[in-house]
Amino acid sequence: MKKLLQSLFILLFVAGAAMAQDRTITGTVTDKEDGKPLPGVTVLVKGSKNGTQTGGDGKYALSVPSGSTELIFSYLGYTSQTVTISGSTINAVLESDSKSLTEVVVTAMGIKREAKSLGYSVTKVSGEEITKARETNIVNSLTGKVAGVRINAQSGTLGGSAKIIIRGSSSFNDAGQPLFVVDGLPINNGAPQISTSAGAVPQGSAGTDFGNRASDINSDDVESMVVLKGAAATALYGARAKNGAIVITTKRGSKGQSNISFNSSTRFDNILKLPDLQDEYAQGTQGLYNRASLNGWGPKLTEVAGRNFTDFLGVDGPLVAHPDNAKNFYKTGQTYINSISFDGADEKGDYRLGYTSTIQTGIVDKQKLNKNALTFNAGRKISDKFDVRGSVNYTRTKGEGMPTQSSNDPNVLIGANYLPTNFDIEQIKNNYVDPITKEQITITPSRNGNNPYWIINYNTSTNVVDRVFGNGVLTYKPATWLTISNNIGTDFYNENRFLPTKNGTIGALTGSFISANLYNRVINNDLIATVDTKLTPDLSLKVIVGNNIYENFNRTDQALAQNLTVDGLYNFSNAASVINQNSSAKSRIVGFYGDAGLSYKDYLYLNVTGRNDFSSTLSKANNSYFYPSVSSGFVFSELMKDNNDWLSYGKLRASWANVGSDSQPYRLAFAYSGQTTAFAQYGFGSTFPFNGVLGYSIPSIIPNPNLKPQNQSSLEFGTELKFLQSRISLDVTYYNTNTKDQIVNLALPQSTGFALKTVNAGSVRNKGIEVTLGLIPVKVTDFSWNLGVNFATNKQTVTLPSDVASYSIASGWSGLQIKAETGKSFGIYGSAWERNDAGDIVMDASTGLRKIVKDKRLGSTAPDWTMGINNSFTYKNFNLSFLVDIREGGVMFSNTVATLRSTGLAKETLANRGNIFIDKGVIETGSGYSPNTVPVQSMQDYWGQYTSTNTESSIFNSSFVKLREVSLSYKVPNGFLQNKVKFFKGMEVGIEGRNLWIIKSYVPHIDPESNLFGANSNGEGVEFNNFPSTRTIGFNLRFKI
Amino acid sequence: MKKTYIYILIFVLASSLSLSSCKKYLDINTNPNTAERVDPKLLFSYAVTSYINLRSSGDLYIPFALAGQSIATGGDNPTGWGVPSEEQYDISSFSNGNSWRTYYTSVGGNLKEAIKLAESANPVNNNAAAQCKVVLAMSVYETSTVFGDIPFSEAWNTTISYPKFDAQKDVLEGCITLIDDALKQFDDASPLKIVDYDLFKYNGDLNKWRRLANSVKLRILMTMVDKDPSKAAAIGTLIGATNNRISSADDNCLVPYQDVAGKKNPKFAINEQYNGEVNFFFGTKNVVDFMRPLKDPRLPKFFTKPAKATDYFGVENGETADDDVNVRISTDLQSASAPEVLFTYQEELFYEAEIYARGLGVPVDLGKATTLYKKAVEESCKYYGVDAGTAATFAATLPAITNAEAGVKLIDMHHWVDKMDRGIDAFTQWRRSGPEGSETPALKLPIGAPAGPLFRRFEYPITNEISVNPNAPKNTIKFTEKMWFDL
Repeated sequence: MKKLLQSLFILLFVAGAAMAQDRTITGTVTDKEDGKPLPGVTVLVKGSKNGTQTGGDGKYALSVPSGSTELIFSYLGYTSQTVTISGSTINAVLESDSKSLTEVVVTAMGIKREAKSLGYSVTKVSGEEITKARETNIVNSLTGKVAGVRINAQSGTLGGSAKIIIRGSSSFNDAGQPLFVVDGLPINNGAPQISTSAGAVPQGSAGTDFGNRASDINSDDVESMVVLKGAAATALYGARAKNGAIVITTKRGSKGQSNISFNSSTRFDNILKLPDLQDEYAQGTQGLYNRASLNGWGPKLTEVAGRNFTDFLGVDGPLVAHPDNAKNFYKTGQTYINSISFDGADEKGDYRLGYTSTIQTGIVDKQKLNKNALTFNAGRKISDKFDVRGSVNYTRTKGEGMPTQSSNDPNVLIGANYLPTNFDIEQIKNNYVDPITKEQITITPSRNGNNPYWIINYNTSTNVVDRVFGNGVLTYKPATWLTISNNIGTDFYNENRFLPTKNGTIGALTGSFISANLYNRVINNDLIATVDTKLTPDLSLKVIVGNNIYENFNRTDQALAQNLTVDGLYNFSNAASVINQNSSAKSRIVGFYGDAGLSYKDYLYLNVTGRNDFSSTLSKANNSYFYPSVSSGFVFSELMKDNNDWLSYGKLRASWANVGSDSQPYRLAFAYSGQTTAFAQYGFGSTFPFNGVLGYSIPSIIPNPNLKPQNQSSLEFGTELKFLQSRISLDVTYYNTNTKDQIVNLALPQSTGFALKTVNAGSVRNKGIEVTLGLIPVKVTDFSWNLGVNFATNKQTVTLPSDVASYSIASGWSGLQIKAETGKSFGIYGSAWERNDAGDIVMDASTGLRKIVKDKRLGSTAPDWTMGINNSFTYKNFNLSFLVDIREGGVMFSNTVATLRSTGLAKETLANRGNIFIDKGVIETGSGYSPNTVPVQSMQDYWGQYTSTNTESSIFNSSFVKLREVSLSYKVPNGFLQNKVKFFKGMEVGIEGRNLWIIKSYVPHIDPESNLFGANSNGEGVEFNNFPSTRTIGFNLRFKI
Repeated sequence: MKKTYIYILIFVLASSLSLSSCKKYLDINTNPNTAERVDPKLLFSYAVTSYINLRSSGDLYIPFALAGQSIATGGDNPTGWGVPSEEQYDISSFSNGNSWRTYYTSVGGNLKEAIKLAESANPVNNNAAAQCKVVLAMSVYETSTVFGDIPFSEAWNTTISYPKFDAQKDVLEGCITLIDDALKQFDDASPLKIVDYDLFKYNGDLNKWRRLANSVKLRILMTMVDKDPSKAAAIGTLIGATNNRISSADDNCLVPYQDVAGKKNPKFAINEQYNGEVNFFFGTKNVVDFMRPLKDPRLPKFFTKPAKATDYFGVENGETADDDVNVRISTDLQSASAPEVLFTYQEELFYEAEIYARGLGVPVDLGKATTLYKKAVEESCKYYGVDAGTAATFAATLPAITNAEAGVKLIDMHHWVDKMDRGIDAFTQWRRSGPEGSETPALKLPIGAPAGPLFRRFEYPITNEISVNPNAPKNTIKFTEKMWFDL
């Protein structure tokens, strides 16, 4: 194998690069601060790609060709040093560069700036950080790492979606997702939903979680992710980045010898939280066994011991508890992520080719995810003045066995792990289909009886995504002070979704399937000219002007085939009825922008930007809008560096921006649409043509021809401080963002004939503080402890026009809504307990059950604050790090908990069964209230009424403390490698874990992190039969040759 | 520095070039998937189809047929609908929400728009406008019988975001006005009308449309007359005229479903997709116990008798049905292609029988009442598939009306039985048949239903209306509260 790789390596990359090598230079590199040796320092012969790294003892040995004159020593966080070669021993002393902080970050439009010059907060997350404990969805790997960035994993579905909220949700209407930019190309991060059944209840059902498309970005190819949070930071991107931007730079070939890097991860997934179920009572109602019921309100097992009952197979036998049903239902899922990359560079060019394979199996049978990512990028200097660079990324993702969530679909995987204890999950698993008739063996004879294994084996969804994105950049540098570059790119994907329902499934006994093709394409071009000049020795000016053309197009072709003749054949020719639907939308933006930056003596910076966008989605009168931004950074520590030891770095920054944004396409004109189906409950609406005629309808939204751009103004102040040689660092940011004239689809009472109208109305203000604290409590020769804490708090305040009582953001079930109300944050509203003035819950005097009132606010969906605490311990070559993720405040609704309680399956429903139970509260006495004395008829009635009639009973505090990531890694010392296995340039082994432990949660039975609405809705805080999340433990091996 | 100016010049030129082509480049905001002009008939057909689907579906049919006790769930019978359910007044918020949405948006919104398009067309399509008005009146009347006071005078107006709720009396008066407008607007001379898209199979026959309009008006008046006795005069006037109301089964207003996947009657589809074509629902004692002693020839048309059963026996509402004893609703009655019925000839005859038995706007004439109600039952039998001879013989065996009060009860009972399968229609007939406690038939609380009065209406939907309309009633109006017409 080694030989083979070696030959490959030579063949591919080394052949043309071999050079004569004359002498060997050795030496030791030490840290100026403490005089200790520095391992891992790159030592490079200047003007060549010949180099090495220092070992654990700070020593290096390097063959230097004749004619070479200088060596360059570089190490992250230290100032690089160039040393003239003289003699055969060269030692170097490197100085920490924390004082000068020359870190460069990529900002909007790919403009590289020194971090210290920025007037706004920017957080950079390195590729290494992202791959510490791998996530198949790159979005999830930001969890807990960036102050003010909240990641919301939507479900435990393999390849499932994750939502990002930066500095609070700022929009009533859209999900508020940031713009993803990869190497200058804005890419699509949609999570489009299609209805899982024609004419299904229009409730914003998330149905199957097919993921968000940013997950096509391969973590192994990412060099860094920069999170631009505020409008000043993103102003140059224009309207598209009003919710912030995630600017990703992919890895490039690094100078020096060519490398082949391997990374292999193996991980095991298990369900994170199992429900706590009772195993004392069998299925039935009101204490009696009933095999038509999936409730746990049947007889007590001990009381019917010795008696026989007919089970779902029609066999008579005793009722026995199976306490491990839920545990046995879930198995261990496995993930294998293997990647290989080839890279190299010299003075003239660089290349990198990477391939990553991800193979994942779920915690339920048949669930699989298969992802192949191939990336290539290369750049070349054609002449002194002309550079070309190109990149292409191809990802193919195939998901199988995706479960259907929510409700109103026969394929929802409920009951699978939530069964009355007398069922044996193994028996259900082994008996889901009749071996002779091939018909389903249902678990009850009634309309809720679909066997979960029938659903798992036959009725789960599949999607296949083929995605390509890439760009080409031409850079022309006619003069030292002028650069002109053009970056053209495209991003397109095709996704096929397939959702079968096999003949014999209750709810769709004649079988059906949905097939959908979703196509999305982005074309983007940026032409930029940069002038960089020194006006005086102390004053530099950098001016950027540019033009942007952006087009987004999407198309969905979808067909529902019903009434299948040949069982299991999912072909349109096999269906008695096929309903086709197609839709498409195109929008364009043309923008002109400029950015002028002044810097004075490397400590005072001022940046002014302006952009004017023209959008195709607004009327000619309103489609041009300009937005400015101003930002300034002041590194005050530069002025006082000679007379203090305690302050290593100090900076103040301030910024202001005002940005506009456009609308979705086609919101201006009143138009009629052809209808495929006239709705009827249970999904049995009539399809057109009906009795030979077609049907058209008015829109459900009243359009608005006078729509204006919406407007966001944003103010930000911050400071960055480093003390005691950067042992302590502190970054504090205050922001105040107001998004007004929001383009919203305002809910109308349906008595208007419409559901919504498009208007510019209302504003959302987000005010908050972000704090990032870095501490190095211990740093000695072989051991260091780094502690990083990020904290963010956000206060959201809504203002609505006076005639709008509230604005509905998303609707759930049974009156549950996510709404916005003036003076408040987005919240959950629904029916609540009726309370008297003293706050006592009012009971119905005839039943002893709680009374309810409708449409009450039940809490905010967003947290009060979030915090991530990351500890990293390094001992010699070992590193142990763990991340604790904390969310405080906010509420959520759990339908799973409601169901477990109303069906008498949850453990807490054991209390008071068979006893007289009087609920605590009051009853009306005509003149006032007296304590309730009326016992409930049965605990089944109590829990049924407690959970099914209202929202409040299933509202929980969604605060949590989680152990999010743990990783332990060992880096094989370079010295060892150089001495013993010369072939390897680096090797690292590690153990990694994700979502290991819910340290604290207030929600029983389920993980508090799940959300029904999906990543393309701004509704959150509702769990509705979501597929449960997992805990992951794995191993990682990384080496470079 | 010369070069600088050249670069700037090039850039400015490039920018201005792109500016000029920019306008064209951005002019793409026309949706390729929708039409900005359509024929009103296209909106009419969608409105009518949505309307009949609502009436025969799980949102309206099942709750009203069960809570109104004209069919039964069969309690804990494994292949029955199951309890607790709508029969125990456990009404999903989808049911009232979807009903409201359908009445106001899919049906009302499209009919109003169709009227606007027809009346603003050149030349004006008066007949299409009038046809839409008749259906709109029918639908608004029904919406009010479901919810009570509802938005009407300010509904369907894009300039009014928060319509006020009109009192039921005003809504029903408004429906009558709408019908009177339509009657005036029908124009025999104009060839413009909805013909091929006339889903009622009237094929644009304006006389049939006029007769439907008048019969719907009579239905509305009959619902109002107990609370507002002054309506008796209008009733008298209306039935004084001849040949202006539905006068034969040929005039029946109904829309057939098709025995084709995706176009089947929802009543059938739910049994087909969930229950292996076994009907979920059982005959209720309220209906079966009345029909059995009469040896009503409609019994085998309405119900499927178990092979082991000796005769037709229903269940009490909420009671667990025995598969060997109790009858289920016939799958022939609720077949895939069974039509959804909006108005039948027998309904017209039952009203007329009642009018003569009660002397509403006409002198009491028990003889005429007898003839009319017997004719109504005979038409009902024929409608449900009994052959003409048997139907006539059966009608002839029915007793003559000799006492006005008992006669009215008998007519009401037959009227209700005829509407056994028509959800809201049967429920409204029951509510208007007498003051609380004296309705026909006398119903008791279903087994398992919460203690208290009987079900009377749908509550207003919270999400679709109440929480977004500042002009909506502030207090919850419970499903047990009676509405204006319901004494």
